[in-house]
Amino acid sequence: MVTGKGGVGKTTVAAALALAGTRQGRGGVLVEFSDGDAGSRALGPYTAEVEHLVISPDDAITRAAGPLLGSTLLAKLVLGNFAMRRLVRAAPALRELAMLESVRQIVEERPGRRVVVDMPATGHGLAWLRVPAQMAAITSPGPFRTLVEKVNRDLMGPGRCSVVVVTLPETLVLRETVELCQGMMQEVGLDPACLVINQMPSVIAASALAEVQRMVAEGDALGLNPALQAALKRAQALLEARHHARLLAATALRDALDGVSIEPVILPLSPHDPTASAVAGWLMDGGLR
Amino acid sequence: MSKGQPLVMVCAGGGGVGKTTTSAALALALARQGARTLVITIDPARRLADALGVRLGNDLQVIGLDPSTGDRLVALMPEPSLATRTFMDFLFLEEPDAHARLMANQLFLTLEDKLAGMNELVAMTLVIRALAAEPFDAVIVDTAPSRYALDFFTYPARLSALLEGRAVKWIATLMQRAEERRGKDRRWWSGWGKRQVEAAVSHVLGTSLVQDTTHLFAEIALIRKRFAWIAREIDNLLRGPRTAHILVAAPTGAAEDDLFFLFRRLVELESRAHAVLLNRTGLELDTWVRLFEPDVPLGQHARIQLQHLREEHFSRVQASQRIHRRLESLPRPVPVVDLPLLTYTEPAEIVQELATLLDPSLRMLTGWRSPHA
Repeated sequence: MVTGKGGVGKTTVAAALALAGTRQGRGGVLVEFSDGDAGSRALGPYTAEVEHLVISPDDAITRAAGPLLGSTLLAKLVLGNFAMRRLVRAAPALRELAMLESVRQIVEERPGRRVVVDMPATGHGLAWLRVPAQMAAITSPGPFRTLVEKVNRDLMGPGRCSVVVVTLPETLVLRETVELCQGMMQEVGLDPACLVINQMPSVIAASALAEVQRMVAEGDALGLNPALQAALKRAQALLEARHHARLLAATALRDALDGVSIEPVILPLSPHDPTASAVAGWLMDGGLR
Repeated sequence: MSKGQPLVMVCAGGGGVGKTTTSAALALALARQGARTLVITIDPARRLADALGVRLGNDLQVIGLDPSTGDRLVALMPEPSLATRTFMDFLFLEEPDAHARLMANQLFLTLEDKLAGMNELVAMTLVIRALAAEPFDAVIVDTAPSRYALDFFTYPARLSALLEGRAVKWIATLMQRAEERRGKDRRWWSGWGKRQVEAAVSHVLGTSLVQDTTHLFAEIALIRKRFAWIAREIDNLLRGPRTAHILVAAPTGAAEDDLFFLFRRLVELESRAHAVLLNRTGLELDTWVRLFEPDVPLGQHARIQLQHLREEHFSRVQASQRIHRRLESLPRPVPVVDLPLLTYTEPAEIVQELATLLDPSLRMLTGWRSPHA
């Protein structure tokens, strides 16, 4: 399960993990709860190597309610009822549970494969993972309880699933991520298998920055024309901003992970959107199991 | 100064495009022009609060970023983890006993941090409360960094459809009966009718959950009129005649996908995008041509480093141009404001500079006319 807030590159990492699964001979499956656009874009030319499943919340609810009520037809009848339909659409946690149950079914139908779930970015990642345990606590025996227990045992149980957390090297984002990882261990009993720090700015060579700074300072003495001097000033500002971004990111990372027993995998900031194949390579180079 | 409804600008965009900073800049630009402006963020990343030097909470706070705006620029940044509590306090204001029962309901306590769209509902409720207390000329809503950020438009209507119709009463009765029938009829699946639905619900969910649900719906039934009122007010704000939707994007493949997804989503929500703000565009061709002219005495290290930056810049230019072309080819073209890549390191400086850059486009974006002009 790949989790992280919006805009951190979660889908790309999920697609890369599925692709790596295929390349390691385990048949990668990518599950996406959206319209499928993001997953398709992330997979790009490697679509054929991965089984890409797109599940809408409504599909997930029908899928989960089928076994619960004994048949899909019955599920459609109950969910077709005007009040039930409205209730299910407005009810919290039902969707989340239905989505997790759909994943459990997908995993069950595909023994031995690697199923990678691109978790929705909305809401708190931890709230999502807590749903099955909390549901188990408030239900009494019956088919609903049985379903919740199955999700807990077969999907969330130890050795069944690992969570990959994707984040950015920014102080506030990292702080939230570390809280998420600690909460996961303490409240859900799940160790994050991997913390991916995405978009790490590259190091700006000090010698390069010094050369540009010197040319800007000695522009007149070197006889550089005004247009070139303006261009050099802009280049200096861009390099300094990038250098500063690198320092900030490195400091943020060091402070956030100080005393936390999580070994991160760091991916570089890339000018182009990196392909799933490139990210898969980075992840495996980074020591991903 | 204000007459009737304020101007409302809803800013939406995918993650990482600078939407929060841009929303703050838009608010600052309006305040500089004399508009009393309220900026509210739903983004749980808290970056705007950080940049503007305000703390999270349900109170209005004056932003002192730019002395020229006096007390005209006001921020509202509700703490996301308290969203559901805040909303329930407001909803059950006139029903304190029901409120106390709600806070003891196990089902509610389990679900409260998972109520979808709750941050948005709370934010809009706080805006309604603020507007009732004092007049504002403009309200900037900074939505969550997600493709589905605008889906909360439909959420008040969906909830109020559930609450106002027969549905709540029906479900409350159903749950009540299901509770009574629990254990009496084991063959719940035989036949199909009202009694069977009741038995099925009881069988599937189990007793305690049915009880909690019954009570929860009984409490909700008490406040449905108040909720319907809030839902209508929120709908007026988000889809009223003085509301504009601004999509914020950046020149990357992911942001481009999110931008056009949001376009389609707005149409599905019976609204439309008013303008696009394209952040971090790279149109400084001049800089790069000059730097790499053959006679420039650039050192080897600098040359290699700058080549990387140039490559990055060109990929941004290509993406910007592609976004422009796609926007121009729409059946109803949408105006775009290009904003450059800024090299400031302090978020507050970026907000100030973006506000200055947005100023010439302010009339086009907002229709705002300074009363002093």
